[in-house]
Amino acid sequence: MDGETLTGRFVTLRPLRVGDAALTHHWRSGSRARLLNQAAGSVEQQAAWIRSRPANERNFVIERHDGLPVGMLSLVGIDPVNRHAEPGRFLIGDELAVRGLPAAVEAMKLLYELAFDRLDLVRVHGTIASENRRMITWQRYLGMREEGRMRQHYFIDGRFQDALIFALLVDEYRRDTLPRLEALIRLGQVAP
Amino acid sequence: MTQDEALQIVYRALERLNEELDTPVDITPHTQLFGADAVIDSLSLVSVIVDVEAEASEAIGQPVSLTDDRAINQPVSPFRDPQTLAAYIVSLQG
Repeated sequence: MDGETLTGRFVTLRPLRVGDAALTHHWRSGSRARLLNQAAGSVEQQAAWIRSRPANERNFVIERHDGLPVGMLSLVGIDPVNRHAEPGRFLIGDELAVRGLPAAVEAMKLLYELAFDRLDLVRVHGTIASENRRMITWQRYLGMREEGRMRQHYFIDGRFQDALIFALLVDEYRRDTLPRLEALIRLGQVAP
Repeated sequence: MTQDEALQIVYRALERLNEELDTPVDITPHTQLFGADAVIDSLSLVSVIVDVEAEASEAIGQPVSLTDDRAINQPVSPFRDPQTLAAYIVSLQG
């Protein structure tokens, strides 16, 4: 399963490779990634980081069906005993390339299918910087529930921000998240 | 609620979105929100949906869902542009 590619109608999640180091380093160094954890300092460090990914992670590049890489997404800390994991490193690096496509929506749907349907997890969780309003809105809309707050947890743009703790249980995913993901994808399909 | 009042709700949601974007979008009645020529991605669209749903629900006095079957089955997508979205919000008043 380590090398598995996940295929949707609009995008594909294919495993992150060392050859993606330059592109992903470029994305992680851009302003869109400023609310994520600090990126590697160089392409070489990014390549070393990719090489060193542990077995309990699935790291993906989001590609359009024409093969153009547009972003990245991971499922990390996969714990098959306690059956939880953490979606993260979610970044649309090429915003222009996915305008008009439900790329982010479908990428998240593919990752949740991996987590809940294939890996049989019962919970996914994560933290979001408190000023990352779009991602907070996005995760709440898709059913994530806020479980707590770690004060001054991140140092971003020269100052501290809180980290909001979010989680989603498998039952909530099937009841709330999946219908909303599918609705957003269908909206993308019917739009002229 | 009039069409213009609904349009202002959509505009305010887009203005809030612009505060988050590196490249703000032009806000006009015909700004493409979704589809092949859209100016925002799906992450941003959700932000707009949530803001519009909240404000429209309060204005109409009943819950507004912009992603239910009724919205999806419209012959013209409500999300084509602010004008179509405003028209759809007005239609929800019954």
